[in-house]
Amino acid sequence: MQHKIIDHLFRHHYGKMVAILTRFFGLAHIETIEDAVQDTFIKATLQWRNQRPDNPEAWLTKVAKNRTIDLLRSLKSEKNRHQQVSAGTVSIPISDLFLDHEIEDSQLRMIFVACHPSLKPQEQIAFALKTISGFSTKEIAAALLTREDAITKRLQRARAAIVANNIQFEFPAPHELQIRLTRVMEVIYLTFNEGFHSTNADNLIREDLCGEAIRLSKLLLKKEKFRSGSMYALFALMCFHAARLESKTNSDNEIVDIRNQDRNKWHVPMIELAKNALTKSAEYKDVSIYHFEATIAFEHVKAVTFEDTNWNIILHCYNKLYEIQPSDFALLNKAIVTIQLNKLNDAKDILESIKYDKLGQRQYLYYGCYAEYYAKMGAMPAAIAFYEKAITKTSNALEKAYLLKKKNLLQASN
Amino acid sequence: MKDFMMIFIGADYQELGLSPEQLQERMGKWFTWNEKMAAQGIVKGGDALVPTVKRVIGKDRTVSDGPFADSKELIGGYYIVSAESAAAVVEIAQDYPDYDLGGTVEIREVMVFNK
Repeated sequence: MQHKIIDHLFRHHYGKMVAILTRFFGLAHIETIEDAVQDTFIKATLQWRNQRPDNPEAWLTKVAKNRTIDLLRSLKSEKNRHQQVSAGTVSIPISDLFLDHEIEDSQLRMIFVACHPSLKPQEQIAFALKTISGFSTKEIAAALLTREDAITKRLQRARAAIVANNIQFEFPAPHELQIRLTRVMEVIYLTFNEGFHSTNADNLIREDLCGEAIRLSKLLLKKEKFRSGSMYALFALMCFHAARLESKTNSDNEIVDIRNQDRNKWHVPMIELAKNALTKSAEYKDVSIYHFEATIAFEHVKAVTFEDTNWNIILHCYNKLYEIQPSDFALLNKAIVTIQLNKLNDAKDILESIKYDKLGQRQYLYYGCYAEYYAKMGAMPAAIAFYEKAITKTSNALEKAYLLKKKNLLQASN
Repeated sequence: MKDFMMIFIGADYQELGLSPEQLQERMGKWFTWNEKMAAQGIVKGGDALVPTVKRVIGKDRTVSDGPFADSKELIGGYYIVSAESAAAVVEIAQDYPDYDLGGTVEIREVMVFNK
């Protein structure tokens, strides 16, 4: 019997190998390292065509070790020519680097490098997806709905920033740890949101992004020094959302809103995982937006039907979120919940206080919310007009189709 | 039964910049194909080829190193299979995994002299 090769083995192993080699050779050589690792996978692919190794993971690790030694040789001979090249930054033997806990250690260091403040947010995400998660530039571009050359540039700038700031492959100093962790959580959260809220037609890409964000936070939670209420809450939040990722679109790739999702299809083990993490998050003193967002997500999955949703708790959480991080987007969420609670006067007040131009690409949600408000008021022509306005405000085909469907339903019922 | 060589041309993974995830996916497809052929007992051999090329040309035996102009014509590997006819090999070649990457399968019968 042949081993079945586990999903994403290459992708995850790529991140591991790059992290190990970087630990050994230093961040200055990261480009060489990434090329070498990529080359290893191409060779494995060709070699495994006919004969699969009994233990693919051990095989890859062995190749990685040999690769380290090869690289050491070539960098040394390079060093003879260019004195400034440094190699060998680690004091533990090569073989120890390949122990499981050391591999994790190296990967965690890479997470902090990716989220280093010298890198711009967009560069952080691109760099993390490439170097930690083993995405190609093409895959990153598809995931972030960006052009490939833009991603190439971000990656170049990220690497340049690492060299220019002489960033070391180390954990932050204790006094910096909390602030650096905050940024790490933001990057993970953004990556997850790119996957979860994106209207990317490719479901796999969405799942991959969400999966990576969850994997990284899991890795961080393994180490006591990185645990916090916020980290657990973030993990909970992502798992609650991920549990209903598949229900967000139907087989025709149309958007299905939470009211119409098949609640039996939500992934129960994932919800359980999330619940446990949410409980854990309360054992720490810190409180973050993730706590409230996780609670909101929990309220949604807890409701047996849409009608059972406890909108009062959700509104409370949105109020808290607004206190921590006032934004027009938070206001919009409050307005949406207020409409569900049939507090239509409050909803109108909130909607009128929103500076809609601050909502950017999400403006269509604002007009969609107005449409719902007018529909509840029984003012159908106004509701339809706002749906039409919302449709013109999104360029995304899925969103357009969704809004059009709602508009047509409204027209049909009159 | 006759022997045929299936020659795989183009679809160089390195040049196409496939991601680790895509490489794993490709590998799975090749493996499935090979397994299918092996189960039917038709594969006699085959290898993937390293993409570095050296050419020796002409009466002066001029040696030149690749890469050469068109990598779409680069041979990436081969299988030798035994089959009734070229048409049967065309059937076998339906499962070649890299058509979508611009790959080509060339089928050549191995020449046998009658004794």
